[in-house]
Parts: sequence; structure tokens; C-alpha cells
Amino acid sequence: MIRGSCLCGEVRFEISGALSDASHCHCSMCRKAHGAAFGTYAAANAADFRVVSGANRIARYRSSAGIVRTFCARCGSSLHGFDESKPEVVDVPLGVLDDDPGVRPDRHIFVGSKAPWYEITDRLPQHAEYPPRGD
Amino acid sequence: MLAGSCLCGGVRYEITGALTGALSCHCSMCRKAHGAAFRSRAGVRTSDFRWREGEELVTWYETSAGTHRGFCRVCGTKLLSRFDFDPNWYGLPLGALDDDPGVKPRRHVFVAYKAPWFEISDGLPRHQELPG
Repeated sequence: MIRGSCLCGEVRFEISGALSDASHCHCSMCRKAHGAAFGTYAAANAADFRVVSGANRIARYRSSAGIVRTFCARCGSSLHGFDESKPEVVDVPLGVLDDDPGVRPDRHIFVGSKAPWYEITDRLPQHAEYPPRGD
Repeated sequence: MLAGSCLCGGVRYEITGALTGALSCHCSMCRKAHGAAFRSRAGVRTSDFRWREGEELVTWYETSAGTHRGFCRVCGTKLLSRFDFDPNWYGLPLGALDDDPGVKPRRHVFVAYKAPWFEISDGLPRHQELPG
């Protein structure tokens, strides 16, 4: 079981089962939404993802067609996201996890949109946009 | 002049004057608030900062005594921190800037609380907590 929660603690979720496909995303939408250098997300099976408390605090924002980002309406913590065309997957921002996610980010995506004030210095593969897994 | 805005575009701000003390903070509150590996921020004088649009959309949450973090209530973008104990400075998350701030984070702080899934690989100074 992997647990996550927002900063104020009202929203709590848990994930039974493993996370996969962890990536650092440098797209401008992730940078804006997180107010950070990049977002880091891993994929969970929607069937494994459960909001334990605070569901009524979860605000939703559709940042592009079919892509929904959520956050805590009280404290602003970025929470899970999903693609409405892939309801079987939940995207989990690793920053709000209380437990070690098990997975480690293994690539940078959308580095073509990277912040000018952040340099990538690790050796993970860098992709200008979003390559499908397996490339 | 530096411009910044949230993801939905409802909130816009502008900054005249320099940003100072840019750093990346790995404390658990910053990681939670941003839902990210760390928070990169700089200091901006309150007199140099102006909301251009949408100030009424900014929701403030007091994360520790006297420290308030502001975010857009429509899209959740993390925008600004203000401090009751220091009315002269704001803390500015760099991620919502539209322009190149011309500064880069020069150090990592609170690395004792770093996420287990993120390795710091640059050569910047690392501080276990926040040095004076």
C-alpha cells in the first residue's frame, strides 16, 4: 500500500498495487500547475487508487482536452490527474506521497519546454516531447 | 519587468526589480504543497510585486505560523508566499514565471528531508537544513 496526502492533510488517498512509468515532465503546464521546475508523475491502475478522505476538497481543472488535474481546494497541493480517454490509469504526482513509491523516474519528457533556470544534470534519457513507452 | 501567471491565466502578476536568493527547497511542506520533487523559489521585495489580474482568485493557506502560501483556486497553480513576520519580502515559486528570471537556484536546502525518489545530481551546495 502506498499512501499520499495533501499538505493540510484533508485529502488522503492510497494505492494498492505498484506504480509504473515514472517520468519528470518539463512541459509548461506541469511547471505552471506545480509552480516548480518540473512535475514528476507515475501511473497507477485506477482500480488500485482510492481516495480515503477529503474527496469533497478535491478541485478539478481541465488543463487541456481530456486532461484533468486535481488539487486540494484548501491548501493547494497538486493531487492526481487523469486522461478522460484512459479511465483505467491515474497519474500520481510523487511529491504528495507519504511512502516511497517504489518506482524511480527513468526519463525526462517535454524537455523542449524546460525552464531556462533549471539544468538537467542527471543521465536519464531526455525526450523533447512525449515518446510512447518502448521507444 | 518579469511577468508570471497561473495555468488557467486567471491570475497574472508582474515584478519590477531583482529576484534574490534563488534556491531549491526539499522540505516536506514544499514537496507536499507543490506535489513535486522540490520547490525552487526566490525572494522578491513586496514593493516590486504587483497583481495585474485575478488577485481575488488567490486562495491563501497558512502552512506554518505566519507563512501563507497562495494558489489559484481555479487551476491550483502555486503562486506566492507571504510572511506575517516579514512584510518586506515575498517568496516566489519560479515555476509560474512566464519570463526568464535571469537567476538560477544556487543551492539546495533541507536536503535532509529530500524525496527518496529524487537524486540531486548537480554541483550546487547542499544544506541539511536552512543555513543562517
